[in-house]
Amino acid sequence: MGGMGRLKSYLWRYWRRYFLGAVCLLGTVTVVMWIPWWIREAVRIIEQGGSPRDVTGYALTIVAAGVVQGIIRTLSRSLIFNAGRDIEYDLRNDLFAHLQKLPVSYYHSQRTGDLMSRVINDISAVRALLGPGILNLFNTPVYFFYAVILMLSMDLRLTLVALLPSPLLIWAVRQFRGKIMKSSLAVQRQMAELSSHIQENLSGMHVVKAYTQEDHQIRQFAKLNEEYQEKNMVLATLRGLIGPCMQGLNGLSVMAVLGYGGLRVIRGELLVADIVAFIAYLNVLAWPTAAFGWMLSLVERGRAAMERLEEIFKAEPEIANPAHPASSIESDVAVEFRHVWFAHDAKTNGHAVLKDISFTLPKGRTLAIVGRTGAGKSTLAQLLPRLYDATEGEILIGGREIRSLSLAELRRGIGYVPQDPFLFSNSLNRNLSFGRDGISEQEILAANHLTRLDRDVAIFPEGLATVVGERGITLSGGQKQRATLARALLTEAPMIVLDDCLSSVDAQTEDEILRGFRSVLKEKTCLIISHRISAVKDADEILVLDEGRIIERGTHAELVERGGLYAELHHHQQLSEELEQI
Amino acid sequence: MDRPDTTNRKTTEDRGRRTGLRSPVSGHEEEIFGKAYDLQLIKRLWRFLVPYRKLFWLAMLVLPLQQLFALAQPYIMKVAIDSYIAGAQLWGLQGMVLLFLFALAGEVVTAYFHYYLTMLVAQRSLADLRVAIFTHVQKLPMSYFDRNPVGRLVTRMTTDVDVLQEMFAAGVMTLISDFLMVAWIVVIMFTLHVQLALVSLALTPFMLLAINFFRVKARRTYRLIRERIARINAYLGEAISGMAVIQLFVREQNSYREFDELNAAHREANQLSNIYEAGLYSMVEAVGTVSIGLLLWYGGGEVLHGIIGIGTLVAFKEYLHRFFVPLRDFSQKYTVMQSAMSAAERIVQLLDTPTAISSPAMAVVPKPFRGAVSFEDVWFSYQQNDPVLKGVSFKVAPGEKVAIVGATGSGKTTTIKLLSRFYDIQRGSIKVGGVDVREWDLQALRRHIGVVLQDVFLFSGDIRSNLCLGNGAVPEERVLEAVKYTNADRFVFRLAGGLDAQVRERGSNFSTGQRQLLSLARVLVFQPEILVLDEATSSVDTETESLIQDALEKVMKDRTCLVIAHRLSTIRNADRIIVLHHGEVREVGSHAELMQKQGIYYRLYQLQYAMEESKIAPATPQLKIEP
Repeated sequence: MGGMGRLKSYLWRYWRRYFLGAVCLLGTVTVVMWIPWWIREAVRIIEQGGSPRDVTGYALTIVAAGVVQGIIRTLSRSLIFNAGRDIEYDLRNDLFAHLQKLPVSYYHSQRTGDLMSRVINDISAVRALLGPGILNLFNTPVYFFYAVILMLSMDLRLTLVALLPSPLLIWAVRQFRGKIMKSSLAVQRQMAELSSHIQENLSGMHVVKAYTQEDHQIRQFAKLNEEYQEKNMVLATLRGLIGPCMQGLNGLSVMAVLGYGGLRVIRGELLVADIVAFIAYLNVLAWPTAAFGWMLSLVERGRAAMERLEEIFKAEPEIANPAHPASSIESDVAVEFRHVWFAHDAKTNGHAVLKDISFTLPKGRTLAIVGRTGAGKSTLAQLLPRLYDATEGEILIGGREIRSLSLAELRRGIGYVPQDPFLFSNSLNRNLSFGRDGISEQEILAANHLTRLDRDVAIFPEGLATVVGERGITLSGGQKQRATLARALLTEAPMIVLDDCLSSVDAQTEDEILRGFRSVLKEKTCLIISHRISAVKDADEILVLDEGRIIERGTHAELVERGGLYAELHHHQQLSEELEQI
Repeated sequence: MDRPDTTNRKTTEDRGRRTGLRSPVSGHEEEIFGKAYDLQLIKRLWRFLVPYRKLFWLAMLVLPLQQLFALAQPYIMKVAIDSYIAGAQLWGLQGMVLLFLFALAGEVVTAYFHYYLTMLVAQRSLADLRVAIFTHVQKLPMSYFDRNPVGRLVTRMTTDVDVLQEMFAAGVMTLISDFLMVAWIVVIMFTLHVQLALVSLALTPFMLLAINFFRVKARRTYRLIRERIARINAYLGEAISGMAVIQLFVREQNSYREFDELNAAHREANQLSNIYEAGLYSMVEAVGTVSIGLLLWYGGGEVLHGIIGIGTLVAFKEYLHRFFVPLRDFSQKYTVMQSAMSAAERIVQLLDTPTAISSPAMAVVPKPFRGAVSFEDVWFSYQQNDPVLKGVSFKVAPGEKVAIVGATGSGKTTTIKLLSRFYDIQRGSIKVGGVDVREWDLQALRRHIGVVLQDVFLFSGDIRSNLCLGNGAVPEERVLEAVKYTNADRFVFRLAGGLDAQVRERGSNFSTGQRQLLSLARVLVFQPEILVLDEATSSVDTETESLIQDALEKVMKDRTCLVIAHRLSTIRNADRIIVLHHGEVREVGSHAELMQKQGIYYRLYQLQYAMEESKIAPATPQLKIEP
């Protein structure tokens, strides 16, 4: 489905509202177009010296028409504009729902700022198309149709004279459109250049300052800015022509009607009333004519925006539910990796991050993974809840290949503590109870105690109601990590994955947490990733990862004995600890 | 409690910047304004119009002329109908038509001229405003950039300024012109016929009351809309940044519900505002029509009694038409003004941000300058009560080479940033050439200190411009010499264009090693007395490594050097080593002395440098320190 196809399906959803709006619009236009006719009748009576009572009759008709028109116009505009808002609402919701389905890899390939501005600006452009765009798209031809018919029914020749400048109008619109488009593209390009200069300047601010480049940067900026201003001026010069041109052409019609009509009145072929009516029709047409170009650009912009939104809609949720999800079965083996390979860009033969990983993690046991930065530890953990899918090999949870399980079931079974302690700008309370419905206060307090978060909460002025994030107290790195840990514990998932989640917590607190954890971990299957030996030394099995491969495996004692990389890391850690204590 | 870990602070901030956690559209930043005008703000921005006030006043002079031409047309119609058509004078009618054409041409020309002048004033003054913001931003201290994401600042200089332009052209100027137009029409109508004017405009007072009612209502709904859209955007931004967490905890449905709630609230506010706007628009149109009915009713009688001509009636109808159009479009202009005010507010706020670090009034430039550096009991913290440096003192003699070593988070990078006065310290003093850095002329100070940071930043452009950095006066020989001396010639002259070879954004078309060589060449071009170097930890191939080491040695020769050392060779070549630990100087001495002491350095050496010998990199992640 193309962008416009999708848009049509939305329009179709609200066709009743649009239809009703269109009916009201038609009613409005009808009333509006009859008013000059009644003016003509009134003026004719005045001109021919009829009775004032008849004039009053027409005058009252016009007053009534004004009132009626006011009411139905309110209806038509509200209906159509509000239908536009309804579609905007649907579109935004659908987009959000779609974004939720997209895998983590999608968000790595997109910049949040770009994605956001696209969603915001493009939706509002589409909305402009759906509201004022559609309204005018409908209005303009109807106005012209009515006006021409009614004018023709008064006088053919005067109609021709009045519409004489119209071809000129069409020609002018065409001329302008191309030129304006070109010019506004040039403005956009220059703006992009200006923005990237600012962007670069700001990202390189330390170099700018260190080499005292401020003046030079300002000069460069001023130059680009000057060009931007000039290009903008060219565009303004063109755009500025439209209004007066439209006004002028309309004026020419009025002039033609006055001159030629006046001549005919003198000859006795027409009445002044006819001239008045013609001028009134030209007045009515002035706005739709002037708005024509604007409306076209509205439609074009809306279309382009919809196509861009379609790009987001088209992004495939690569990691999706299987068609017929199986349920997990009771098994003594909680997790099994069978010859798992992973590369971030498998299609282009990207560099393999994980190579031939195999292990089993029995239920209720703890497996630890250590290795240097970039060894692939986090990636391995991320494969479990299917944030990424393995490129080759099989991953089994509870005896089932994870791709055959429903995503929700799979993920609910894992309490995941990511490396990056992401919290939402909500109260601490809501952040902690994020993972499951109906978490009690007691449970939160218990989790806080376990993660030693209680001591911190005690000194927050608002306790658990403290808002984390930009506005409230910004938590320290360690506090955030411990909050994410508590959040995962509170899900009560049978398996827990800790992805190097205590790196910002000091050694002593870490020790306390880990000791308290032992009781909890007894009941859970646990995968711990860490670069700290202290965190992993009690694990049932330790895998040492290097450049994506398992190079050593065993218990702490065995590995230290072996004198390989693990022993090296261990020695290193001891040195660091010593250093820390000096 | 948690370790006051500075490296962590850096990385989380950096991460925030990358993932756009605090994206430019984040609603928290968005101040919500209900006002459509704020005299204080307008006064501030008026300053930028002052240089173009002549053009501005010219535009203001053209305006009444344009309106005179426009409003002459109905009157010409009246005369044509009453005197010539009614009197059957063909010649007179022709004259009137020509006059009409003249008025029309006059209107078109002056309208265009007015628009052109308005745009010229707007474009020029806003271009100045843009430069003013940019200039101001250059003076802001580094701490400002630590706090404010790049995206937001870009928006200030681009989108926000563009909104102001729209305000000026479509808001202020049209409001003035509309007001003038309406006033003219009232005057003309009363001049033509008092009673008829009274009857035609009888409904106007009520309508103005209704418009005012709308304005009050609208202000409230606009405020609501802005609040709600800001919330939607904030929520969306956060959801995008935290999508992995939402998916991991299977909270898609909950967050969809929350989003839907915000979205529905926004729709509701908008639909309410749509109804107000539709009502206002339709009411003005309706009042216009009713007024014409009244005009015909009363005016028709007057014509029939022979008091006025039929042309007067026609002219009145035309004037009424032109009277209502600006009133009808009022709400649109009001919206434009309102959004512009918050843009203006944000810009003024940025312009008002104090440039905390600036040259003192009586700046000192010591002459002749020798590269002595001293830190005396320096205390510094990025955030309150979290000191990164605690009473650091050391001296570096001119020409001395000093290496700073320490574990991650010990305050090494901070120390060298303070030397160039990127931040001001809270206690103690830092002296360069015997003069406190706060007494130095800032630019002069920085010109004497060559800084090479871990992450070499190259600007897009060409190699030459990156070496000279806008200093056009650098002779070609010096650039060539620098390139050769630092071994950068090996790759520079292999590129098409040599020194003129293109450099892409952030130097992405060069390898890390090449960028490091270029940054060393940059130092040589500038010939600073003091070299400050944060050695890169990232590994390069052995050949490039030896080129860099060779270049480093040459660049460091005959210069005061302060080096955060990661290379074994660099520490061994240093005259002295300063060991920073938890923000304090704990050991000072030569490599041999310190090794003998078996203290912190001894362990650090084993931790960081002994690895180099055994070719095993340290296990603690070398957090990439953002300069």
